[in-house]
Order: sequence, then structure tokens, then C-alpha cells
Amino acid sequence: MRYCIIGGSAAGTSACEMIRGIDKKADITLITDEKFALYSRCLLSYLLAGSINEDKLKFKEKDFFERNKIEALLGVRVEKIDSKKRELGLSNKKKVTFDRLLIATGARPKEMGIPGEDKKGVFALRTIEDARGILNRSNKGVKRVAILGGGLIGMRDAYALGHKGFDIKVIVKSGQILSQMMEKEGAEIIEAHIKKFGVDVMKGLAATEILGKDEVSGIILDNGNKLDCELVIVGKGVAPNIELAKDIGLATKEGIIADDYLAASQDGIWTAGDVCEAKDLVTGEKTVNALWPCAVEQGRVAALNMAGKKTKYEGSQSMNSLDLFGLSTISIGVTKPKGAGYEILTSKTENSYKRLVIKGDILWGMTLVGKVENAGVYGILIRNKINISDYKKILLRDDFNYAKILPLIKKEAQKFCKPEFQDILLTY
Amino acid sequence: MTDKKQKKGVKIFCDITKCLGCKACELACAVEHSKAKELALSIKEKPTPKKRRKVSGVEDKIMSFGCQHCEEAPCVAACMSSAMYKDPVTGETKHDKDKCVGCWMCIMVCPFSAIIQDVTDKVAMKCDLCPDNEDYACVAACPTNALFSGTPEEFKRRVEEKSSPAALKRTKIKSGV
Amino acid sequence: MPENRSIDPASVDALKKAKAENIETVWDRYDAMQPQCGFGELGICCRICNMGPCRIDPFGEGPQEGVCGANADTIVARNLARMIAAGAAAHSDHGRDVANTLILAAEGKTDAYKVKDIQKLRRIAEEYGINTSGKDDSKIALEVGKAALVEFGQQEGELKFAKRAPQKRQELWRKLGIMPRGIDREIVEMMHRTTMGVDNDYKNIIGQGMRTSLTDGWGGSMIATELQDILFGSPKPIRANVNMGNLREDEVNIIVHGHEPTLSDVVVAASRDPELLELAKKYGAKGINLGGICCTASEILMRHGIPVTGNFLQQELAVITGAVDLMMVDVQCIMPSLSNITKCYHTKLVTTSPKCKIPNVTHVEFHEEKAYETAKEILRMGIENFKNRKKNAIQIPSNTKGFIAGFTAETAFNILGGRYRSTYRPLNDAIISGRLRGAAGVVGCCNPNIKHDWAHLTMIKELIKNDVLVVTTGCSAIAAAKVGLLDPEEGKRFAGRGLQEICEAVGIPPVLHLGSCVDNSRILIVLSNVVKEGGLGDDLSDLPVAGAAPEWMSEKAVAIGFYVVASGVFTIFGTPQPVLGSKNVTRYLCDDLEKIVGGKYAFEADPVKAARLMIEHMNKKRAALKLAPVMYEEGSLKKEKVAISA
Repeated sequence: MRYCIIGGSAAGTSACEMIRGIDKKADITLITDEKFALYSRCLLSYLLAGSINEDKLKFKEKDFFERNKIEALLGVRVEKIDSKKRELGLSNKKKVTFDRLLIATGARPKEMGIPGEDKKGVFALRTIEDARGILNRSNKGVKRVAILGGGLIGMRDAYALGHKGFDIKVIVKSGQILSQMMEKEGAEIIEAHIKKFGVDVMKGLAATEILGKDEVSGIILDNGNKLDCELVIVGKGVAPNIELAKDIGLATKEGIIADDYLAASQDGIWTAGDVCEAKDLVTGEKTVNALWPCAVEQGRVAALNMAGKKTKYEGSQSMNSLDLFGLSTISIGVTKPKGAGYEILTSKTENSYKRLVIKGDILWGMTLVGKVENAGVYGILIRNKINISDYKKILLRDDFNYAKILPLIKKEAQKFCKPEFQDILLTY
Repeated sequence: MTDKKQKKGVKIFCDITKCLGCKACELACAVEHSKAKELALSIKEKPTPKKRRKVSGVEDKIMSFGCQHCEEAPCVAACMSSAMYKDPVTGETKHDKDKCVGCWMCIMVCPFSAIIQDVTDKVAMKCDLCPDNEDYACVAACPTNALFSGTPEEFKRRVEEKSSPAALKRTKIKSGV
Repeated sequence: MPENRSIDPASVDALKKAKAENIETVWDRYDAMQPQCGFGELGICCRICNMGPCRIDPFGEGPQEGVCGANADTIVARNLARMIAAGAAAHSDHGRDVANTLILAAEGKTDAYKVKDIQKLRRIAEEYGINTSGKDDSKIALEVGKAALVEFGQQEGELKFAKRAPQKRQELWRKLGIMPRGIDREIVEMMHRTTMGVDNDYKNIIGQGMRTSLTDGWGGSMIATELQDILFGSPKPIRANVNMGNLREDEVNIIVHGHEPTLSDVVVAASRDPELLELAKKYGAKGINLGGICCTASEILMRHGIPVTGNFLQQELAVITGAVDLMMVDVQCIMPSLSNITKCYHTKLVTTSPKCKIPNVTHVEFHEEKAYETAKEILRMGIENFKNRKKNAIQIPSNTKGFIAGFTAETAFNILGGRYRSTYRPLNDAIISGRLRGAAGVVGCCNPNIKHDWAHLTMIKELIKNDVLVVTTGCSAIAAAKVGLLDPEEGKRFAGRGLQEICEAVGIPPVLHLGSCVDNSRILIVLSNVVKEGGLGDDLSDLPVAGAAPEWMSEKAVAIGFYVVASGVFTIFGTPQPVLGSKNVTRYLCDDLEKIVGGKYAFEADPVKAARLMIEHMNKKRAALKLAPVMYEEGSLKKEKVAISA
């Protein structure tokens, strides 16, 4: 059996590993257009911040490909899929055949679509090349940075450079930062915190043009003001790389539509990772949850199915973790509910914030700012749709932790099938 | 490393019927993870040694808990720097501090409140099954044998064999909850 | 949730404010402490010697003996006995200070104090065997003060006030070898016997525990009560107001908190000093408003009608109102947290006793010789602090309630006989005839482990509904006052028919405020007087009475519990004393003791069940005395249950 995997990040590598675990004889080929393989994209902001070096970006051992007997084609782009011939056309003009294919092509930064975006000194932090470019530039005495976008990426970039003492302006169109991840009240705590570290958030504004001859010298804002800066980082989110899939007529929307087994709409093709639009656990709708843990999990499940072990994908859970200058934030599930019938519970202290989104006695989502150590416990309640009607106050309390939900685990034990839960119930 | 520590699938269990909430396990854990490994000296250390176990009330009962070293560990899957990994021999969920960047993805997915933030080094921290100790510090410290080290099968057998005396009824009315 | 913490709306309001302002209170700290150590709770942790610390495994699997070989029985008994010793020490040391003050006053070394109740002075002198003829008051006072001090240092013989107990009781104490010899001696001996390798027989340890407790009830506390009456005047029924609504927005609010009246009584006088009132005006305040917390509150309440701001759990809440300009504290039950909480507001905290200091808190040391100057100095600090109030941080709960306090062994029951026939006869007759079922003392602290005030009030209401006359002191009395139980009109509504009839006839409330926690000794005197009056047996243990501390927390409560039990009275503690780790000690306290001293314990956290146990006990005693059936048994029970829910 010949397996091809397009994409060498979280989903692609976890799939390789899983296939190899099941099928010792399989031919596995992994193709990625990046030359530097097996690095963790999510760590790039830490590289930028200087908290790790490039070595530490590796999330698999150096001999990962050899040990798993994987043919890795690095720096090679797949230009065409021929689904009839079961063949891939590569940028090096070679062709590779496959029996089963995983498309894990990931996503790329969205472009701003404003004049000047091609100037030197404009970056989006997605690849190691971007990180090297930014670092290179920041070593040349650059002081002022404009970050366009106040989402997760923008905030991580702001933290990374803020950590190095840059003068940072974050330009946010909406009235708050992190508007995808949480609502205003929590975001304000974070905004106040990062301000102390030199990150200035300018809300309700957008860049309309990037100035400079060859290199960036500033930006023009939609209120007409000019902002001087030597570095611009675009953090406007990512768009799944669905072109290859579209070319051969796979069902796509935002990403490649995957069924409950992560198969794409044509036989022999699966999809996983940031390009995959699969079921969301909480809402039940198909969504692209572009998250590292989701990608790893999807890679595993797709691989199981590719290797003939039919495995249902439970669904992805929208969640995110962020740490800015020592202030941690984790959100899981539905944090900004639309529509009626939601009950919102919040508790707030000077430097911590908790917000629970409840509907029909079930926890749908939550946001934690400051104190995050019990985030995963909320996560399991959300994931398993546990009735928490009598536990609302307990969930909101400061001393909430895993022990507090034991009675709930006992009550709905059938939903907690991990053996670890069963072990605990032995004496409770 | 003793043979005991090489056994596959060993972890720490708590018999909830026997926990009195004395927090001796918390203390022993912190001491075990101190430089001095001695109570009187360790409490003076900076940064203060941190415990990886927690004692908490469960309705009218009490339990001590820490990392479950899950067979399918969500923290390992979620870790983007592969700082969390499974030991191929013992099945222990291990954490490599040097690789950890403190993104807290592991905390986000751990259902057992088992991972703690070491704010000093900005890394995750959890039960490491006492690699420097022949024994498990918390189990050794437990005065009522509520804590037990062994495989899930061994724990199950113990619970079945020693149907422990009915859990002591907590007599105090706890307010709040 | 504040509503789960307290049933007092004023406290709930203040707690909400605390929450909004991120102020940590005793309840938050209590939560943070959960779960609390089961070894401590069961009393089986021993830290007495350095071979330990040792713990006994209550499940029987681990160690059953400490390093020295002491088993759970010994460890539990020793720990408990040391609690008794500490509690008795607290009350008694208070008594000693009052005796000293009396001596200083008699010697003319202070003009802030003089003998106010000459009748009582002479009566006590007589009891002490002092020849009063031809001596002036100060000479007698000097001799009484010195005689009182002798009680502390006495090595042999018997405490004088123990002779107030019925003859039969005294005989029993002698027979059991628990008749107290000297106050300090018994406390010291208790500490000796519970050190490593001395007394290991739990029964023997508890025996000395009882003797130690008797030095409190019939010694230290009783001396404190009696000499305070002499110095500051015996209380008489007096009307006053309770709760945090008594704080004033436009006056300088001074809170006195702690247990002794010595300084606070002078503060009352100084607060009326024209010079200070003038100063208050200068700072924009209309006057000086005093309020009390804990037993210091009760002391100046019953003698001067000063409003009570709240009980133990309200000390932080009072500060949180933002309206307290100064809080001065003396000794006992003062939370160290006040230091931090007062710093969050403008409140000035002042410690006054050399025995009680708190780091980083202003200390103005009190000495009787210049009591008035000290009082003025402290008040001045409060007045000057008025200007620092943060106007928008002030939020005074509106709750306040009128009530009557100031009953004593002399006044309370003589009232029943009417002004011209002051005698205990009518009280005895009421019990004998069955109009009253009996009497109960509901006393003690409050504790965040049980909803604030709830257990006190639920228990008291259940008792009075069943025609049990309730006497109360300390924080329990403050709880009762807050809901009107100490108001003759309001309180009457909750009483059973028989008790109602008595309240109506004499105009007293169904629950009588007997004072501070040292004034629990007044209850002992009342009971002795009832026995003396005749018709209800010849020992305290014959009486249809019971005691309870439903929300206890202090070691002092344990000492009180023991002197009440050792005096022959059935006593209930809400949450158990830390003894459950020893089945033997638990059985001894809750069962065996009855055969030995006539009184015993029960631990029952449910206040209604506890009240029922007390009522059953009274019924049992009534039957033993062959008294008439309770007059309104049916009617009382049919009456709708007064609903206070947890």
C-alpha cells in the first residue's frame, strides 16, 4: 500500500506515525514545500521572543523520518493531484503515485489587500522563513512595530516583540482585542496587562496603506493619521490552502469538507489539520478549528481510517491558550454565543476572570483569564455535554478543580470512558 | 532507578474512602521536588518548591490527586513542542522542562487538574513519579494508606480485597458549597 | 455566595460589598483552608513532644500508637484537656486583671474607677469572710481584691465561690477529687499532666480537665463577673440597639472589640468629654458614636446601653462598611486579619493590651493609672481619622433592632417575683406547675463552618416554642438580639403559650441576655439559686435544664462546656469537639460522664435535633422529679414551626 501525505506539520507527521504504527510494510511518502521540516509552527512566536532557539522548534526527533521509514520530500510543492491516475505532480517535475492520500496542506496568512503590502519589512509570522526575516530586521536597530490585527496571531507577535523591548502598536479594527476568542470584559483585562509591557492597542482603526520606498517607513490609518514604524506584521488570521482540492473537485467550503471519518468527498482521499473542515464537538457544525491539538488528533484519526481501522472522529473542540507577559488565558468552546437561551456566569477579581456560557444546563464554553490551571476540567464538561444544573456555583468558584466534578463523573459515568475515570470511581 | 520504578503502568491512586485531608502528600511532594529534599530546609528555598499533588474536597469526602499518566494522554497530543511525551518502557507521561515553552496547551486539555504552572520558569509541571526516590514521596507520606502506587489492575484488586471500613463521616457542616 | 454565609441581612450586605471590593474575609479563608485536616478534626494528632509529631490512623491500618506509645484515647484526652486549660486561662486571666483594677481603685492609684455597687461589694466581702464592720468602702474593696487574687495563687483548700454550688454538688466534687483548689494551680497541673509521659489514663485526664474547667466557671469567670459588677455597677435591664445599622454616617464611629470592660468603660465616659465632642465637631462630625463587638460590647451594653455593632464574625464586616473610624481591641477573639482589612479602608486599628499586639498595628498601651488619658488619646485618633473617610466607599447596612439586655442572677429572676417580692419562687413554681418546661442556656461563638447566626436562632426558637426559657450570653445573645428575640413584644411571638404567659405577666422577653461569656458564671448562680429555692431537687443535675454552644469555635467554649457538664448539666456542642478519633473518650463524654457527674455531652450540628435532645432531657428530669405534665404540651407543639432554613 502506498500512502502519500501532503503537508509536514502537526497533522501530516502524526498521520505518518500512526500509519507506520499499524502497517509496518507500507510505503509512506510525505511531501512538504518547506525545507526545514518537523518544526512546530506554534513555537515561532517563542523563537521570535528569544525564549527558544531554532533547535528547539523541532517537535520530533531528528531521525523521525528514518526511524519511521518515511520518504520525505522537503522543499517540494505538490502542483497537481490526478485523482484518476492516483498520481501527484510535483514542483520538481517528478511524479509520485499513491493508493491513499492525506491532504494536510494547512493554511496561510490572509493578506490585507492594501497598497504597500509587498514592501520589505512587512511580514506574517507563519513559517520559519518569516521568523528569520523578522529577527534579521529587528537586529538592524528597528524600534517601532505596527501589528495589524488583534487576534491570537497578532497578540502572540506583539508579545514576542514586546518581550524584546520594541515599541509596539497593535491596530485593531473592532472595539477589542481577541474578538474571536472572547468577549470584551476578559479582553480588557488582557489589554490592560500588556499595556504595562509596552504594547499599545489602538482600537477601531485599520491600516489603509503601508508607506515607504523600498522598505517600510510607516502606515496610514483609516482615520487619516500616519504612524511611523519600521516593521509591519500582518496578523489577520489564516486561510486554508484548499486550491489543490478545489482543482480536483473535492467538496470545500472554508476548508476541505471531511466526513465523520475525516474522508474527503472522493474515494481514497482524507484530510486533516488546518485545512480540514470537520465536525465541531460543541456546535455539531462543520468548522475549521485551526489548532495544534486538533491537527494532531485529526492526523491520527485520518491515518487510522486510511490504514483500514475504521475510527469515528469525535469532533474538534474549539479552544485556545495564550500567555502574554505572564498572564494566561484559555478559552474553550462557545465563548461568544449568538442567539437566545444562553446563561452567562462570570466572576472577576483584580487579575483573574472567569466566564461560563451555559445553555440548557450544559456548559457550552468558557473563558479563563489569569487562573487557568483547571481549564481542561471545564473542557471535559463541555466535550461530554454534562448536565451541570446543580454545579453552576461550584463551577464559578475559585477552588474549582477536578475533584469537584467527581459526583458528575459518577452520575454520567458512561460518558467518561477513559480508563482513568473508571479507576477513580472505584472508591467513590 | 529501582526495578519497582521500571514496571509498566504504575501510577498513584487515591482511595477516597481513606483520605483525611491532612495534606501530608502535598507537603511530601513539594519536599521531594526541592533542592534540599528536607522539609525544614526546603521551605526556605527560593523559588519555593512546588507540589504536584492537590488535596481537595469532593462533596463531603476528600481526595488527593495528581497526574493520572493517562494511557492516551491528551497533554501529549496537545503539546506542540513535544515536551510532554510517553516513556516507551513504563508508559509514564513525562515532561521535558527544557522543551516546554509554557503555552499551557496541556493545561487546556487535561481533565484532571494535574498540570501546574511553574511561573518562575514559565513551564508546565506535573507528577514525575519521583525519579530521584526509590519510593513515591506522597505514597510514603500518607498516614492512612489512602494513596497507593501500582498498576490500575493492582489498585482494583486492592480495593476489592480490602473492602475498607466505611468512610469516616465528616462531622463538620461545611459552609459555602 | 454571601447568602449562604449568614442569615443576618446586614452581614450579607457587607459581604457583598467585600466581594465587590475584593476583600478577603474569614469565610474566604475558611474556604481556602478546605479540606481541613482530618487528624486535627478527630483529635488524633499529637505535637506534645519532639519524638513526634504523631498521628493515629483512624482506619486501623496504620499506627495505632504514637512514638511514646500513647494511643488515640490518651492523645485525644490530652489535646482536649489542653483546650480546657487554655480556655480557663483566658477567662481567669481576665478575672485576675479585674481584681487588680479593683485593688488599684481601692488604693486610689487611679481615679477612672471607683466602687459602683457597694451592696455587692459588701456581700462578696462577707462571702470571702472579710470583716467589714467599721471599714470604709475602699478598705473593703482592697481586701476583696486581694482575697480574689488569693484564689488564683491558692495551693490548698477550695475556691470560695465553689461553695455557692448546692451542698450535694460540692460533696460530689470532693468525692471525685475534682473540687478546684486554686485557679492557677489547676491550670498548671493540667499542663503538667498532659505533657509527655505523665497522665495516660483518659478518664483521669478528663477528671483534671473538669477540675480545671471548674476553676473557670466557679473561679476566674465568676470573679470577673462579680468584681466587674462591683467596679462598673451591676447591670439592670436596659434598652439598646444592635447591628451594623448603628454605625453613623455623620458621626465618628469608634468600635470597641474584645472582652474586657476595663478600658472600654472609660472610653464610654471619655466619649462624652466636651473637649472631644468639640474636636469631633471641628472635624465635621456631629458626635462620637460608640459601638461594640464581641464581649466588650456586652459589657458596655449592659451597663451603659451602648449599641452592639455585631458578634464575632462581624468584626471584619464592620470595617468593610467603610464607616468605622477607629477600632480599638483588648484581648481574645480578635482576628489578626483586621490588620490587613483595616488597611484597605481608612479605619485605624489600635491594640491596647500588652498581652495582645499585632504587627504593624498602632499600639496604645492601657494602664489603669492613666485610663482616662489613654481613652481620650485613642478617641482623638479616631476623631482625627474621620476626615480620611472615603465617602464613596461607605455603605452602612440599614439593619438595626431594639432589645433588652442587662439581666443578672439578681435582676432576672427577681423580676419574676415582682418589685416587692424579689425571689426565685415564681420561677420555680412556673417550672413545677409545667407552665415552663425548663430552662436552657444557649451560648458561645460563631464559626464560619456553620451559617452565621443560623444555628443559634434555630435552636433558640425551637426551645422557646416548647416553653423553655432561654438564657443567653456572648455572641449567641447578639445573634438573638438581631432578630428581635430579646425584645419582649417581638420575642414573645416565637414563644410557646406557657412561656408567653410569663413574658406577658412580667414584661420580659422569652430569651434573657445575661451578659458576656465570663457571665456564663451568672447562669451557674441562677441554677444554684433555683435549687436553693426548693422544690426542684437538691442538686444542679436534678434540674430540667440544658446548655448548648451551637456555633462554637474557641477553646473558651470547651472550658465553659466542661464546667457546665461538671456542674451536672446536659450540654450540646454543634460541631463535635475534636475527640471522635477516640471511641472511648467520645463515649466517656457523651455517655459515661452522666453517671459520674450528672451532666454529659452530645454533639449535634442540626440545631433543631439538638433542641429536641435538650427538650427530651428536660422531660426526663421532670419525670424524675415527678413534676406535673407540661401545661401546654399539645398546643405548643401544634403551633406552626417557625421557619428559619439553612
